Amino acid sequence: MKLLIVDDDTNIQRLYKEELEEEGYTVVIAGTGKEALEMFESENPDIVTLDILMPDIDGISLLRKMKEQRPNIPIIMSTAYDYRDDFAVWASEAYIVKSSDLAELKTTIKKLMDK
Amino acid sequence: MCVPLFVGDRIIGTLGLYDKKDEWGIITFTEDDLKSLMTFASVSSIAIENARLYRAEIEKEKEVTQTKDYLKSLIEDSADAIITSDIDGHITSWNKGAENIYGYAENEVIGRFLPMVPAFLQEEERRFMDKIKQKETLRNIETIRQTKNGRLIEVSLTLSPILDASEHVTGISGISRDISEKKLVEKELIRKNQELSRLFFVNSVVRSTLELDKLLKMVLTVVTMGDGLGFNRAILFLVDEANNVLKGEMGVGPASPEEAKNIWISMEGKSLGAIIEEIENGPVYLDSHLDRLSQRLSIDMNGDCILCRCIKDKRPYNVRNARTEPLVTPYLIQMLGADSFGVVPLISRDKIIGIIWVDNLFTGRPIKDEDLQFLMGFSSHIASAIENARLFENVTLAQSELKNIFESISDMVYYTDRDFTIKRVNQAVVRKIGKPEQEIIGKKCYQIFHGKDEPWELCPHHTSSAAQQPYVGELEDPYLAGTFVVSNSPIFDSAGNFVGTVHISRDVTELRNLRERVIHSERMAALGELAARVAHEIRNPLISIGGFARRLEKKLEGDIQEYAKIIVNEVSRLENILKEILGFVKSSRVNKSRVNINDLLSGIVDFIAPEMDERHNTVVKEFSEQLIIAVIDPDRIKEAILNIFTNAAQATDHGKITVKTRLEGNEAVIELTDTGCGIKDEDLKNIFNPFFTTKPQGTGLGLAVTHKIIQEHNGKVKVESVWGGGTAFKIYLPLGEG
Repeated sequence: MKLLIVDDDTNIQRLYKEELEEEGYTVVIAGTGKEALEMFESENPDIVTLDILMPDIDGISLLRKMKEQRPNIPIIMSTAYDYRDDFAVWASEAYIVKSSDLAELKTTIKKLMDK
Repeated sequence: MCVPLFVGDRIIGTLGLYDKKDEWGIITFTEDDLKSLMTFASVSSIAIENARLYRAEIEKEKEVTQTKDYLKSLIEDSADAIITSDIDGHITSWNKGAENIYGYAENEVIGRFLPMVPAFLQEEERRFMDKIKQKETLRNIETIRQTKNGRLIEVSLTLSPILDASEHVTGISGISRDISEKKLVEKELIRKNQELSRLFFVNSVVRSTLELDKLLKMVLTVVTMGDGLGFNRAILFLVDEANNVLKGEMGVGPASPEEAKNIWISMEGKSLGAIIEEIENGPVYLDSHLDRLSQRLSIDMNGDCILCRCIKDKRPYNVRNARTEPLVTPYLIQMLGADSFGVVPLISRDKIIGIIWVDNLFTGRPIKDEDLQFLMGFSSHIASAIENARLFENVTLAQSELKNIFESISDMVYYTDRDFTIKRVNQAVVRKIGKPEQEIIGKKCYQIFHGKDEPWELCPHHTSSAAQQPYVGELEDPYLAGTFVVSNSPIFDSAGNFVGTVHISRDVTELRNLRERVIHSERMAALGELAARVAHEIRNPLISIGGFARRLEKKLEGDIQEYAKIIVNEVSRLENILKEILGFVKSSRVNKSRVNINDLLSGIVDFIAPEMDERHNTVVKEFSEQLIIAVIDPDRIKEAILNIFTNAAQATDHGKITVKTRLEGNEAVIELTDTGCGIKDEDLKNIFNPFFTTKPQGTGLGLAVTHKIIQEHNGKVKVESVWGGGTAFKIYLPLGEG
């Protein structure tokens, strides 16, 4: 089971990688939007988490592009902002508010994998 | 020798004799001589006296004859009847005047009892005669006499006694004058005047809607109607003081002899009253030929013409021949075409307001002086009626203008007397109060406007009437649910006594709300920007710190694991605060559950205890003994209350913070009272605004967040504070469903 984590903060990349690998997932990391799209094709992940606020391409655009390529790919949107009122977010499978406690993220991934 | 001349005992002179010589040439008078002389003297005295008396007699007689002649001619030539009789009324003399007036010749009446006294007045005549016998004189008695052919005439009579030398009444003299003609004219004038006055003034002045134009038209109609004064044409000129000219205002009368005929025919059968009524009730047109002609006339009052004279001398002028009268300008003759006319000034209270021109252009009937005299008498009524109508018109105009202004002002305007009783209000007041005018007037202003039983000391009216000076203030009135800028001005009567107040009250609620909303939304936008920045800059590092601390916690054991746990917990708290801020920007979902308010507060008090100890403050719990369960988001309410606690703790040193809970209807009330420094009045209304802070390190978000959270729970926060005397916050939370 391969997860693609998209986040521009290197500490958070490492935190996610270590925590999620301990859960038994294969974790690949992208630090920019461009990298994310490349890895989405090359790595063929089973699930993606997207930080909405990215320096080059914003999370909403990434979400759209990925869903265009693989309409059934589960994508989790994660951000410091509350974007739940934004219609575009509805296209994702889940939405979580970024937190130092990864429990919610893990539960969400598990739920999506089980489907 | 010398002897006196005696007449009786009176000496009228002396007689002297000289030069008697004897044979020896010595002068001697004998006793006999003296006797002879005395005899001669007494005879002479009588002769002298007789001669003197005779001369005096002749002169007297001459005088009497002259007087008699004079009187006789006077009596004979007098137009008055002069009659003498004996004391019983038998005629002794009868002059030409008597003959003319009464028709009897002198020889017909001499010796007869007064034939001109009618039978029904003989009794009266005898009473007069009795008075005369007592030597009384009766002057200017107006009575009736009968002429030879039986006609009764009115006369003015003066009766006096005729006295003989010994002052006995021997006869009666009577002078009488025929005043029938004069009486007739007088009576006619009085009748006309009464009738016209009644018709005119009862008809018009009583009616309050009197218009000046109508009044003027009526005046001229009365002047021209046959029932009225019967002139052919009447033109009214009014004084235009600004330009010092007499301006033609209107005219009544036909334009031509043909029209005159038609008008008079059409008028036949219509009474003056009916025509006045017609003018009164119908519209007034000022466009007849004569109206237009009049309106073209404008006479310079500086000049010298008959109209100006009429005004200057304040008397009527009867111009019988306009073409030979030097004071009539050719302009007037040309314009008005009349060879003879009359002008009468209109004087009201010594002020000339105009003149009336009358003429008989079509009938050519001469204008009598009496007609003008009558018009003159009538004109003072007219003038004051015109003045009144003018004043009335001005007042009406001013009043309706004022009323329009008063009613159309969108601000509330009203008057009160000194006892706060409302005297008058405009439409804006009626609209705002929502009651009809009659239910507002007469009530106390503090009842109507503030819903109070006595004057409200916060109302600017209170300040204004206490100081008796104008005062403008802003008033937040919960009764009318709004904010008002109120201007109060005291009114004083002519003696300088304070009699009441004029109020102008502008509702600025909308304006203030709008202003507040703009400020609020500006602040929110600023807050949003800041929050985004904070979220971006702090969120990620916090996640890293907290995330790795959790990993440490998992891998460590004992005390060190405990340290990691502290980091994890503190980061969680920080993350929650961030979440709140973000929640503040974007309306976040409220996560409600049934919460025991007392438990919630106990937890908060325990949580804040270390901070309280730091400043040596004690916390006193005065919780309701009743169980209070409310459906709320406990985390958010905790956050809201913590913010108040933090503020209270920072404002208080060595003090006391009291936390009370109670149930009030279906609301949970939480009260936090501190003994701290309090909040300044001017700060009080700002404390819930985002970014408002009085502390050097404050963010200004704490109480704003509190306010937002309580609002989301449909609750209220109230704050009362006295600068230097502590602060009390009251939170009202609806218990919610269940």
